Amino acid sequence: MNNRCFWLFMFAFLFGILLPVSAEEKILKIGTLFPLTGSCALAGQRCKAAVETAVEIINNKHPEINVPLAAGEGVLGYKIQLVHADSQGKPDVGKSEAERLFDQENVYAIIGCYNSAVTKPASFVAERKKKIFVAGCSSSAALTERKMHYFFRLAPNDRIESKEFCDFVQWLNKNNSSNLKTLGLIYENTEFGKHAADEAKQIASKYEMEVVVDVPFNPGATNLNSEVTTLKDKNPDVIFGACLGGDYTLFIGTVNQQNWLPKVALNYCSGFQDPQISKQLGEKGYYFAGASGYSPDFVKIMPVAEAIEKLYKEKTGVPFDTDSILETVGMLVLGQAIEKAGTIDSEKVAETLHKEEFVSPLSFGGKVTFDEQGQNNKAMSVVVQLQNGEYRRVYPPEYSTASVTFPIPSWDKRK
Amino acid sequence: MSDQSGASGNLDPSPVSSSSYTKSVSDFIGIGLLLFLLVLPKLSVLFGAIENYIFPAPYGRFQNLLSSNFLHVLILIFLYSAMSQAWNIIGGYCGQISFGHSVFFGIGAYGAGMSVVKYGMVPWPGVVAGAFAASLIALMISYPCFKLRGHYFAIATFAVVEIFNRMFMVWDWINGALGLDYPIIEEGWKQFIWYDSKVEYYYGALALMTLIFFIVRFLETHRFGYYLRAVREGAEIAESLGVDSTRVKLSAMALSAGITALCGSFFVQYNLRVDPPMVMSLDMSLNFVLITVLGGIGTLWGPFLGALVLIPLQEYTRAWWSGDGLDLIIFGFMIVIVVLKQPQGIQGIVSNMFKTKKRE
Repeated sequence: MNNRCFWLFMFAFLFGILLPVSAEEKILKIGTLFPLTGSCALAGQRCKAAVETAVEIINNKHPEINVPLAAGEGVLGYKIQLVHADSQGKPDVGKSEAERLFDQENVYAIIGCYNSAVTKPASFVAERKKKIFVAGCSSSAALTERKMHYFFRLAPNDRIESKEFCDFVQWLNKNNSSNLKTLGLIYENTEFGKHAADEAKQIASKYEMEVVVDVPFNPGATNLNSEVTTLKDKNPDVIFGACLGGDYTLFIGTVNQQNWLPKVALNYCSGFQDPQISKQLGEKGYYFAGASGYSPDFVKIMPVAEAIEKLYKEKTGVPFDTDSILETVGMLVLGQAIEKAGTIDSEKVAETLHKEEFVSPLSFGGKVTFDEQGQNNKAMSVVVQLQNGEYRRVYPPEYSTASVTFPIPSWDKRK
Repeated sequence: MSDQSGASGNLDPSPVSSSSYTKSVSDFIGIGLLLFLLVLPKLSVLFGAIENYIFPAPYGRFQNLLSSNFLHVLILIFLYSAMSQAWNIIGGYCGQISFGHSVFFGIGAYGAGMSVVKYGMVPWPGVVAGAFAASLIALMISYPCFKLRGHYFAIATFAVVEIFNRMFMVWDWINGALGLDYPIIEEGWKQFIWYDSKVEYYYGALALMTLIFFIVRFLETHRFGYYLRAVREGAEIAESLGVDSTRVKLSAMALSAGITALCGSFFVQYNLRVDPPMVMSLDMSLNFVLITVLGGIGTLWGPFLGALVLIPLQEYTRAWWSGDGLDLIIFGFMIVIVVLKQPQGIQGIVSNMFKTKKRE
């Protein structure tokens, strides 16, 4: 009998879970869709906090912060309420969560999704429903080649970064009368890595650089010996890498073990730019470089970032990184567009986003504009190099805080 | 887990679940449920209309109940119970615990995906090709693996998933890690694609589930089904009675893999994208096993009951407490409770309840 009570209780409990809840207020709901659980959970949680930071700025009076919408409360009289959803980093979950956010939660727009592979199907849902989708840091160039009208992306895509890397190499050649010509690619075998590598190949040919070796690896690998041996064999002058987090650490460690070095090593996205990584690698990681959209020392060229970062730090305990700051920018730009359009009509707001220029003190150059495919025209990142434990900006010259160490000093000369 | 359920449940089939009386009750409930599910979308429109007529409001309660999200959950329940039922043929009835089913699922998904994305055709040729390819590959993988027994067989199938995942990641013909993204094409049953409506997917998934449940229901009372159970209870004894155990296992695997591939094709048509981690992952493989174990391994209703509990749990907890992983915690607890208290899963709980009632 007791047993039966137990199961009845279990059923009642489950039934309780299934009962729908709803609460409706006169506010503007915006959905966030990030990988809050799963392997990218940490990054996803930070992105979520970044959007929350932006909403806090918009909804409350923050006269001390000099960004649009900070001084007043809300936008057009609406208070923004966020509805968070979890994509788990899976495209199928992301798609169905996007549908749920629009159909069930009646959100006005979605910000997301970190993983490019999730952003693709999720933004497709938004496009079909004629709703705005803002992607902060998803970097696959393919996202803005789909002729979508309601899709906007803030991050520099991997094409822009590839071009920047090649410009950097050319600049080095000019200034140091060096002759960097051969290029090696090492990338994680995912949508992100493969796409970055494809872009690099295309752009390199325009810059008369020759891709001599092309090495994909599986993310989360435990051993990169054969990959590095292949690179060492062809000995390219320059390496473009698309390695994130732990893979990057392993890659540098292996390069060190095999006692080999390229003259220049650049890494896509900000995969290499995690304080954790510089700690783990110590001196081994010095003089490697990569693209970056933000690091704490940027505060000098973005004075307003400090106050905003304080809000963000309260939530996360860490400063902004390249990815999360873009999500904040995304929310702020969307808010501005609504205000400029003077209505929350999605069609008009989308048009405003396409046409107008937005003030964005958290971006380089301080401006954001979108092309007809939704790519942020003004998106750019800088090349930073890890020098003596700190990430220093080395290119472009107008933003640099240190001169570049070139070529990378060989291992035996370091000690 | 299989051993436990085998020891306490399957070796000693409870008289209730095998009697013809229970069978006909089960059939009756099944057909009733099918009819109900068939009219459910229409019913809600009707109720919604009546409700709106009485209380004019922008969103009627019934219409809201049958919102696209609710349909989405139902579609997933149908899909996952169909998948788990396919797995149940080899894992439940034949007792060969395979963690490799996501491979067949993936092959089916890529079959339809390639047909639409690469060749610009309707998905159907790919669906058929995928099902056959999955069966063929299942035979090729299983033949050597069936030389292993029990846990060793399960471990070998784990490896198969990894092999296929890596292989598909670097295979350029199928776009490797980039995956296949569906272009915008015409909607309809011919293409089996709808962008806004979910009702058609609902019927598609219902048809798929019904088909697979009918196959398994048929197997239960026919010769091949008895062979399967004989092999599960003991390959040697079965062989001594003239059952060719290898052949039985291989045919069951081929059948199970082919059906699983059909589910994969549905999955890709529903999500309009496929890449290797979406389909060929251990996560996906575990879904097949866990749903069946939770619901009741080796029973007709098990996969449906398992999916009926797990999928809403997964979808709604994610919606309400997004990002806490709460669904996984609850699910983990449920598995522990079920394994400890009732190794026959929810199916066992339900039939026990009926049993107690009858005695009273």
